[in-house]
Amino acid sequence: MGNRISHGVEGHRQGERRAPKVIVFACRWCALIGADGAGKKRVQLPLDFRVIPVECAARVEPDSIIRAFSYGIEGVGVLGCHLGGCRYHNANHRAIKRLDLLKKLLATVGIDSGRLLTSFGTGHEYHQFAGILKDFFQELRGLPPLDEWARAATIDAIKV
Amino acid sequence: MTILEQARQIARQSLEQGRAQGVLGLREAEGGVSPHLFEDPSDIDSLVVEPKWLLAKLATGILKGLPADYRLAVLCRGCDERAIVELIKRNQIDGEKIHVIGLACTKEQARACLCTRPYPSEVAVGDVVEGVDPFQDERARTFLEGDQRERMIRWATELRRCVKCYGCRNSCPICVCVPCKLEDDLWVGRGEIPADLISFHLIRAFHLCDTCVACGACQDACPENIPLMLLQISMRASLVEKYGYEAGTDRERRSPLLSDLTKEPSPGCEVPGWMDSLGDSA
Amino acid sequence: MNVEFVKTTCPYCGTGCGLVLQVRDGRVVGNYPDRDHPVSKGSLCIKGWSAHEFIHHPERLTAPLLRKGETFHPIPWDEAIDLVVERLGRTAETHGGDAIGGLCSAKCTNEENYLFQKLIRAGFQTNNVEHCARLCHGPTVAGMSQALGSGAMTNSIKDFGGAECILIMGSNAAETFPIVMGEIYRARDRGARLMVVDPRATEVAKNSHIHLQIRSGTDIPLICGMMRHILDHSLEDRAFIAARTQGFETLNEYLGGWTVERAAKECDLDGDRIREAAETYATATEAFVVFCMGITQHACGTANVLAICDLALLCGHVGKEYSGVCPLRGQCNVQGACDMGGLPDVYPGYQRVSEPRIKKKFEHAWGRELSDRPGLTVTEAIGSGGGDIRSVYIMGENPVMSDPNRNKTIAFLKQLDFLVVQDIFPTETTQFAHLLLPGACFAEKTGTFTNTERRIQLLRKAVDSPGEARDDFTILCMIGKAMGLDFDYRHPSEVMDEVASLTPLYGGVHFHRLSPGGLQWPCPADDHPGTPFLHKENFTRGKGLFVVPEYTPPVESPDQDYPYIFITGRMFCHYHTGTMTRRSPSLSRETDKPFVEINPVDAARIGIRTGDAVRVSTRRDAIVTTARITERVSGGSIFAAFHFFEAPADALTIDALDPVSKIPEFKVCAANLRKEKSDGVS
Repeated sequence: MGNRISHGVEGHRQGERRAPKVIVFACRWCALIGADGAGKKRVQLPLDFRVIPVECAARVEPDSIIRAFSYGIEGVGVLGCHLGGCRYHNANHRAIKRLDLLKKLLATVGIDSGRLLTSFGTGHEYHQFAGILKDFFQELRGLPPLDEWARAATIDAIKV
Repeated sequence: MTILEQARQIARQSLEQGRAQGVLGLREAEGGVSPHLFEDPSDIDSLVVEPKWLLAKLATGILKGLPADYRLAVLCRGCDERAIVELIKRNQIDGEKIHVIGLACTKEQARACLCTRPYPSEVAVGDVVEGVDPFQDERARTFLEGDQRERMIRWATELRRCVKCYGCRNSCPICVCVPCKLEDDLWVGRGEIPADLISFHLIRAFHLCDTCVACGACQDACPENIPLMLLQISMRASLVEKYGYEAGTDRERRSPLLSDLTKEPSPGCEVPGWMDSLGDSA
Repeated sequence: MNVEFVKTTCPYCGTGCGLVLQVRDGRVVGNYPDRDHPVSKGSLCIKGWSAHEFIHHPERLTAPLLRKGETFHPIPWDEAIDLVVERLGRTAETHGGDAIGGLCSAKCTNEENYLFQKLIRAGFQTNNVEHCARLCHGPTVAGMSQALGSGAMTNSIKDFGGAECILIMGSNAAETFPIVMGEIYRARDRGARLMVVDPRATEVAKNSHIHLQIRSGTDIPLICGMMRHILDHSLEDRAFIAARTQGFETLNEYLGGWTVERAAKECDLDGDRIREAAETYATATEAFVVFCMGITQHACGTANVLAICDLALLCGHVGKEYSGVCPLRGQCNVQGACDMGGLPDVYPGYQRVSEPRIKKKFEHAWGRELSDRPGLTVTEAIGSGGGDIRSVYIMGENPVMSDPNRNKTIAFLKQLDFLVVQDIFPTETTQFAHLLLPGACFAEKTGTFTNTERRIQLLRKAVDSPGEARDDFTILCMIGKAMGLDFDYRHPSEVMDEVASLTPLYGGVHFHRLSPGGLQWPCPADDHPGTPFLHKENFTRGKGLFVVPEYTPPVESPDQDYPYIFITGRMFCHYHTGTMTRRSPSLSRETDKPFVEINPVDAARIGIRTGDAVRVSTRRDAIVTTARITERVSGGSIFAAFHFFEAPADALTIDALDPVSKIPEFKVCAANLRKEKSDGVS
């Protein structure tokens, strides 16, 4: 992949907005239940996302989120348990703190912090999960595509 | 007494009075200035305090091979001392073996580094001057605030000059991990420049999120003048705002990221039952 | 505590960055940038940061090795020295001094190169002394000497920061001179316009305002088109031309035959871009042309350089602090090796061997009779197939990897009566030697390097050489003394003092004056502070000379059988033949496999994806390498870096030579490309 920061850019036609690619890390004690439920109930959901089950939201290294963006994935969700309910001694607290800081970094470089969806305790029912995802996709559609980053870093940029 | 004379006097005394067996500082010899481990008080005549040279990094390596009873004095600016504090907290340096000789920076030096705290915890040499707020610097602001799209273009334009020298990582006093993730091709592509703009630079920046001491060694080392330290500023500001935490200023206090919300921001604080970034929390 | 910090100079490129080596118990354990260095200012590139990694490598040569059959056996030093003296002497006696050839080293110090050429010249009465500058900036020395009187970079690296316009031709400086690139970006930050001429879309090109992606080898048409446009719009610097140049009329007449349209067609460019580039360069108050291998490594390399000089003279952009003509000298000491006379037609300081007065001066200094016949260039010697040269002494060079048409090089070496190679590692060249001498690397010797901006800087010894290896200064003194020459030097500084006494350019250069920061030549006297930029009042030759640049297209262009343009070059994490970098973990981690860059359209047509094995073949040879699909090369061109012994790109290159400087046309030849099936059958 070299220095192309976005797989998703390849094949992207000028001006056409592809459906954003989204990865959702879902803690298996709650959010995954919501995800599974949404699947079982065949809730209408946008197609282009993947759920990655994790033991705990805190298991998600911020590096994975950063790497996802570098691959051109448009949005990353980290869904965990409500704040009193973490099986792993409030590991979700630490996840929240970490992810809030990551949002600051993303925002600094112009990657909208809205691309990092965090949910702790709001995704474990199937309709909650579906709602969150729909809202997330909606938010992403309102953002300039991430491959703007790639295009910003080209010769055209400094002619401006 | 000039700053230089002060520094030399204290360094000499540290050796003569046995407070330390060696002083890590800078020496001016026929070749110019380079780091030096002064062990003989008579050598101290060649000790200098310019240019800015982060010694914390060197101290970590030197200390590893020293005998058990060896105390190393280090001539430290504020940033150097903060780095040493962080390294002590992370068990890279034995705090008992380090003796900090605190050196305050001048106003010009503070401005050059956009440093908020241009002085160590105890100042033995020089006079304390007020820090500089990076958010007041016009150029820095264009990287931190303002229109998001313009900021994105700004950062992308800078970061794509990267030649993957690893200078930022190599010169950072806090970066000591072996192996380093930035060398793993699972995370960062290999064999091309620039280094992957997002994964190399944001992974590096985020690994330091709660431990960066804003020494600026990263951007000093960057051959392409990328303002790397500005990547850290918003995270540092957030830690100050939410937790009153500034890396390197307290030898005991651990990073707030390592504790429950009930302990940091403050013990017993109210924690919502659930929250999400779509704007809801209760 | 045995902890030492030793300041020295980087052994890789011609920037000459400052390093601080950390030494503990006789080993280099760390390497830091020198924050006190006038050029590198505390930065290093990835190679600089890793410069210490090969020092203690187990494959270091540690004893003189004599070949018996197919294997090498260690022998004591005195036996080795005697053998060198005896065998070279025998060749000289039987076939004459001109049957001896010597290759000195752009990686060795000035003192060592000076001693080497003194040994060959005084010891054997021949001027067959050469080094790898023949392969890189020979055209620069030839062209700029003719046009300006001096073949060296006219300004200092720091001067780039003050330019309004920088025209970068044939240089991938972001990968090959990252610290210099930083200065160029500093200029860009201050509003300077950057223009890049390169058939490839390198990072330099992508980070500049204008990228002229010319067809390979059409630099002269481009420059002529630009000059035509400048003259048509009266943008030339008439005052400068009148006061400081000669030969304008001849050039003007020649340019009458050029138009922007003709240039655009020849170069495969948009005429408006050529106009834009010309106007940007001409109207800037301060402007540089920065150039490197893309200009020199052509069969018209010297003419390319002359064209650049013409452009600069036309616009008055030379002889000022922030304007000039800047070749980026590649090796850490290629400038020095040239300065020290490691060339067949000049003594130290570019004093011609054929000039009787000069010959007498050196005969008097060295106490031996000398030859006034210029020697053979290495490309001519190898190209002729041998015969003239019977014995060769190579110090710190790897011609089997770096010279074009490798099979010819190997044939040449194989037919020699005696080949002695002095190096720090076994290389592709050492395997053909009769005798190997183990030398010292940069961290194990004291001496000087001269960087691309003519800055003479010190190296300081940090650790001892391994085993029985000696530093090259010591080895040369041993051989010289054994030959009865006046080689009784106790320290390299004495060698530099001798150089200073014989070389006006280095007249005031002595070790004690070199710290800190070094000295930039010309430095003719002991109290002279050195010269940051050249040609301020007058050119070295008096007036700048306009020379008509004769355009010859590349010797071997694509055809039916070999439809691709094959470009060779460098990448950021390896250095030249890879002797040092392939043994450095941080650098081989980045890339340890040969690759060839292929344009996506070509790749799709052939059915190749990144990672596939491909066979690249030319009329000389073929290699099997790995495909890297990228838009960096345009359709119809492919690029390979020459660092990889497993797939040596220079085996494929053509040995067509520039008639003046004898440089091979490394940058263009015709190649074919096929997918290689995994069983080796295509």
